[in-house]
Amino acid sequence: MPPRLNLWPTCRALAFRTRPANQWSQPCIAARARSFADRTSNNNNNNNTTSSQWPEHRNADIAAGLPPSMLSKSTTPEEIDAAGFTSTENEKALSQLQLVTYGLNPFDPAVDGHKYGLPDLPLPSEMHMKHRYDPAIVQFTKLLMQDGKLSKAQRDMAIILNYLRSSPPPKINPARPLVPGSPPASHLPLDPVSYLTLAIDSVAPLIRIRAYKGLAGGGASLDVPMPLAARQRRRTAFQWILDAVNKKKSKGSGRTMFPHRVAEEIVAVVEGRSSVWDKRHIVHKLGTSARANLNHQAFRRR
Amino acid sequence: MSAPNCLRCLLQLRPSVALPRHLLVARSTAAIAIAWTAPFSTTTANNAKTGGGGSKDKTGGHIRAGKKIKLGKFKKNTTADRGKAPAPGERKAFRKKILLSNNNALPVPGLVDLTPEHMLDPQNAATVLSIPDAVVDQLRAVEAFKPTQCWGVFRKPSMLLRTETIDLMNRMKGAAKQKQTLRLVVTGDRITGKSMLLLQAMTHAFLNDWIVVNIPEGQELTTASTEYAAIPGSDPVRYMQQTYVLKLIQAIRKANEKVLSKLSTVQSHPELPQHIPVGSPLMQLANSAKEADNAWMIFQALWQELTARGRPPMLFALDGLSHIMKVSDYRSPAFELIHAHDLALVRLFVESLGGAGAFPNGGAVLAATSRGNSPRAPSMELALQQREAEQAKAADVPQPDPFFRGYDERVQAALRTVQVLKLSGISKLEARVLMEYWAASGILRTTVDESAVSEKWTLGGNGVVGEMERAALLTMRL
Repeated sequence: MPPRLNLWPTCRALAFRTRPANQWSQPCIAARARSFADRTSNNNNNNNTTSSQWPEHRNADIAAGLPPSMLSKSTTPEEIDAAGFTSTENEKALSQLQLVTYGLNPFDPAVDGHKYGLPDLPLPSEMHMKHRYDPAIVQFTKLLMQDGKLSKAQRDMAIILNYLRSSPPPKINPARPLVPGSPPASHLPLDPVSYLTLAIDSVAPLIRIRAYKGLAGGGASLDVPMPLAARQRRRTAFQWILDAVNKKKSKGSGRTMFPHRVAEEIVAVVEGRSSVWDKRHIVHKLGTSARANLNHQAFRRR
Repeated sequence: MSAPNCLRCLLQLRPSVALPRHLLVARSTAAIAIAWTAPFSTTTANNAKTGGGGSKDKTGGHIRAGKKIKLGKFKKNTTADRGKAPAPGERKAFRKKILLSNNNALPVPGLVDLTPEHMLDPQNAATVLSIPDAVVDQLRAVEAFKPTQCWGVFRKPSMLLRTETIDLMNRMKGAAKQKQTLRLVVTGDRITGKSMLLLQAMTHAFLNDWIVVNIPEGQELTTASTEYAAIPGSDPVRYMQQTYVLKLIQAIRKANEKVLSKLSTVQSHPELPQHIPVGSPLMQLANSAKEADNAWMIFQALWQELTARGRPPMLFALDGLSHIMKVSDYRSPAFELIHAHDLALVRLFVESLGGAGAFPNGGAVLAATSRGNSPRAPSMELALQQREAEQAKAADVPQPDPFFRGYDERVQAALRTVQVLKLSGISKLEARVLMEYWAASGILRTTVDESAVSEKWTLGGNGVVGEMERAALLTMRL
């Protein structure tokens, strides 16, 4: 098919400019910049009268979150005139002061035109929407989840963390040592995320036992220890904890009961009272005895 | 399909071994005897006598059982024995448990205790102040704290004084000074701090030595969860809730002990079983309520005494208003549903709120609506919208829907003259003060600057306090 003849594409080459292109060439100060909610008519129609200037101030003040009492005091147009605030230098100085109240340096070039300045690059990982929670916490939350109800699991996790930070500092049992380099017990409650991670990491098993069916001869299976990755170790430990929680008696009712039981078990883990420690011990013992099987014929390299 | 009886037995016409011996005398009578004793009977009685045939199972030798399907053969029995079940009431006690302090949270420097003047001064808007320990005990006694509030995270119960708080306290004080009753309904969206404002009003009342009577949940009175009985001799019939009233008297006594111990009775109460002469201490009257049987009579006598002239001002508060503005779940002897306003205690509150029973010593009647757990009360919602529009002197006051039949005239009459205080989000300044308090307690672990405040304020739906708490305190990101 031959291409259609059309005049319109030629119009693209034409440029209509009704106003000068460099309208924003002057440096604009953040507090004076118009926000989306402001009325545009004030700026365009009566730019020269003094009455048009006070709504701008008011908007800036509202944006700054000043109390209404202070608003009404300072922004009537008569008072502004009386104080001689209408000169541009004064406005500039005022807006720079405003930036100082935000905790920003008004002379920083990055601040210019941004209400809260530009963020430092590269962005920290928790600024990303999908990575805003601690990775360990995300993993535990998804293990808590039932029937795909993630937000319920997230609320449960928040209750667990709140329980941890309002419970007394744990008494650590020297027979059940935690992960080396852990903070002292008194520091744990105010940092519940590391409290929880520390508890899980401390009881996490290093290995799992893999049974090769029939390899031992006579239909017997051959147990071989396999190393676990960090994420797998945490998963195993948290599932052990959930098993222990499900065996516990429920003392109350309501939606906070389950997270409270989980949190109690986590405190029990850190204090060395939990039965999860025995599970870990058994797995490690089995692994120690089964490591001889690694020399089995089937695993030798030919 | 398998036959219920053994075919071999039928063919041979053999009398069952179960047949008694004396019936086997003549062959001719055997048929009758068989018919009479039902030889192929499957009854367990016969089976037991014969010793159960030769089969292993106990259903009898010649009885062929149908194929039985055993369900759940491969299912593991997951219900483990968990020991003793919790005692009655223990589970609910856990649910309703209120923690008021957290020793891990840091003590906030510069946090001062409330005084009566603090809550009246407009300069103190947007400040966080802590509740004195004595008042905390009193508030606990009247059940002003709710389990859903975030008290258990901080070191000491403290609260933010909002502009609405200062406003309400000044109105309460003005009413008490002129010996008038402030009748007001606190309303607003979910978790905007309605119950908290009631708590602040109660704090103000306790600090100023008022008498406080609080009904913590309106639903406890109308969901048919407490005992009730018709008041003898009342026409139209009213109903008393003795067990609840006994609990209420004990709460009043415990919370207002400081005030009540200075007062003594001015009326004689001949109807009471215990003789209480004029001039005996009011605590004695309150203490005489030991059993639920005469609790309502004692409550009436106590109420008369408290509303006599020359007493301190009184605060009567109720949370969950919509529960008492509907037909209750109780039934009359004719099995008709009882309107909540026919329950005597509810009626007392509704009359006080409606202005019928004014307090001669001044005071306040406050009610708060609830958005989380509340039945729909169309009349109440309409009445509150109308009062709000009237207060704002709006041009168009909402009118009832002419095609809706569910309005309740008694409710509209009760709410005809109340004032309405509508709560919404807090300002950014108040949000900043609150977040600084959280940060100083070590609970919020970020720098509180303009952008952090703005973020939480926006996440909280333009400063809805409960939503801000959810975004900052009850989150996985700590």
